[in-house]
Amino acid sequence: MNWRKLIRHETILAVLVVVALIILGNQSDKFLTVDNLLNQGRLMTEVGLIAIIMTFVIVTGGIDLSVGSILGLVAILLGVFWKDLGLPLPVAIALGLLVGTLAGAVNGLIITRFRVPPLIATLATLALYRGIAEGISQARSVRGYPDWFFVLGQGQVLGVPTQLWILGIVALLATIVLAYTTWGRAAYAIGSNETAARFSGLKVDLTKLAIYSASGFAAALAAVIFVSRVSTTRSDMGTGLELDAITAVVLGGTSIFGGRGTIIGTLLGLVLIQTLKNGLSLAGIKSDGTIVLIGAALILTILLTNIFQRNGNR
Amino acid sequence: MTVLTTLALTTSLVHAQTAWTGGDDLPNNPLACDATAATPAAMPYDGGVPTNPPDRKGKEITVVDVPKLIGIGYFDATSKGIAEAAKEIGTMKATTDGPTKANIDDQITLIDNYITSGVDGILFAANDPVAIAPVLKKALAAGINVVGYDANSEPDARQWFVNQAEFNGIAKSMIDSLAAETGPDASFAIVTSTFTTPNQARWISEMGAYAAKCHPGLKWLETVEAQEDNILSFNQANTLINKYGDDLKGILGMTSVATPAAADAVTQAGKCGSVAVVGLATPNAMKPYVEADCVKSVVLWNPVDLGYAAAYVIRAAADGTLQPGATSVAAGKLGNLSVINGSEILLGAPFVFTKDNIGDFNF
Repeated sequence: MNWRKLIRHETILAVLVVVALIILGNQSDKFLTVDNLLNQGRLMTEVGLIAIIMTFVIVTGGIDLSVGSILGLVAILLGVFWKDLGLPLPVAIALGLLVGTLAGAVNGLIITRFRVPPLIATLATLALYRGIAEGISQARSVRGYPDWFFVLGQGQVLGVPTQLWILGIVALLATIVLAYTTWGRAAYAIGSNETAARFSGLKVDLTKLAIYSASGFAAALAAVIFVSRVSTTRSDMGTGLELDAITAVVLGGTSIFGGRGTIIGTLLGLVLIQTLKNGLSLAGIKSDGTIVLIGAALILTILLTNIFQRNGNR
Repeated sequence: MTVLTTLALTTSLVHAQTAWTGGDDLPNNPLACDATAATPAAMPYDGGVPTNPPDRKGKEITVVDVPKLIGIGYFDATSKGIAEAAKEIGTMKATTDGPTKANIDDQITLIDNYITSGVDGILFAANDPVAIAPVLKKALAAGINVVGYDANSEPDARQWFVNQAEFNGIAKSMIDSLAAETGPDASFAIVTSTFTTPNQARWISEMGAYAAKCHPGLKWLETVEAQEDNILSFNQANTLINKYGDDLKGILGMTSVATPAAADAVTQAGKCGSVAVVGLATPNAMKPYVEADCVKSVVLWNPVDLGYAAAYVIRAAADGTLQPGATSVAAGKLGNLSVINGSEILLGAPFVFTKDNIGDFNF
């Protein structure tokens, strides 16, 4: 057994999460309580859903900057479909999820069909989708959703916040797909060497299209949960969310150049950031100080991995 | 793509009956055109009540102040007022901690964390009245005293709201000042933060109603959004100047960021004297423009007093001396402030800073 195989990025990250939990738990007796931890799970679900699919996107060597805008667009459409067009709320939700998936597919088409680099394509749709959202909403909020809808964002099932179940299911499915299916292997192959993947007969374009569509779907699902959590829709919802998701993915060890990364790494990255945000706040550190410390933790984690793996062991 | 475009078109048609560029859809209550004071209608208490709060009467309490965002002069001033009052009161520990951007989610998360950490009281200025309500209700359910200032939430999500000035009062001051500077038949445009920001939307809506009632010759061209962003505000004001040319006689700034930026844009365009700038802003930011005679009137209340009053109100709520049904509350050096609209506490009439008095203020 090669000892170095144990020192993977994920292992280092897991150790850091545990260390952070212990240190922060010592700082405040309110931190390591079931209530608080479950509540933190609730708060990280939206970013989590997006980050999980973003792992696929980044593994293929791509990026999706438009997810925050898709979230805003779907949130607005949910309100418009329901309130202005008078559709039943479940139909409005289904349509919202469909539009989100389509918005992701549009990203995928621009990238695969017109060979526009993902960074540029999704930078463009970041502006486009947000613009459509603002144009449609005319800055009006939609409020007054029925009580059952709030179960999704504010309620719980078997004592665990509803959205945490959804996050768990999506995480499990994504882990299986990425690690054990041909789709997952295709994603790694595309990220490692797209030309080689193409020559090997992999359906590169189709895989990418599916992944960007899934990214749009994840953003749409996050939008529905977000609206349910805060009980209103605003066109500026999810602004800057793409950066939170990308941070979690990259902290989780996924290479920004593609070809390497795991869902468990992303989840650990997500948990570490949320732990720091919440724990530092409970320890009495103000939000501006928290941002500085999170930035420092990011650099530290990546440095640690680089030190342990400097022999090019990928 | 076509699906999206069609969607965008059909859904925006739903909204597109009028060319709406700002304001909200709530009913307006414009004041009289002369100086007659409005008589407020009595309303029963409509705020919330904390669930089984511990007896905090006279005991030291920990209060966190969560403004819309930190790092801008306006909220620096309110937190200064809160700190000042806390020192005076003696039995109150107050800290300010807010998001670094005016972001609904960051603010909600922050408040959620403070509920967990077990504070006695929360002071807030809401980025969105509805979005913030669930987390504030959670605070009330945990027995925490909740008082808003500057920007309200839904009434039942907090106990009291300290209202700096009534919306129709601000609207009257703004429009009267504008009309006095530009004459009765001028065209004007508005630079605001975002159309959804509750205070700004309400002011704009009331300004529209008051202008229609008392200055029917004024022509409202459009409202532009500029977040709470200095550079964006400047650019938007600049665009307005270029777009409307000589037609534009006045710019109304709705935020403490937009107004000085608009004044700067007018100065740089060499339009001082031909484009009036009237707006809500802090005196320090406006002094250069007022002293250069480019801006004649700046409308605001004293934000230090606003924070100061909010601190006294939360102390009184925690002590139980301010109960539903009360008609006034003692607020230190500010004297007795009156309760309006069921569960709001009115700081006073808005203040108009001019060249004559702006030098007396430093915030």
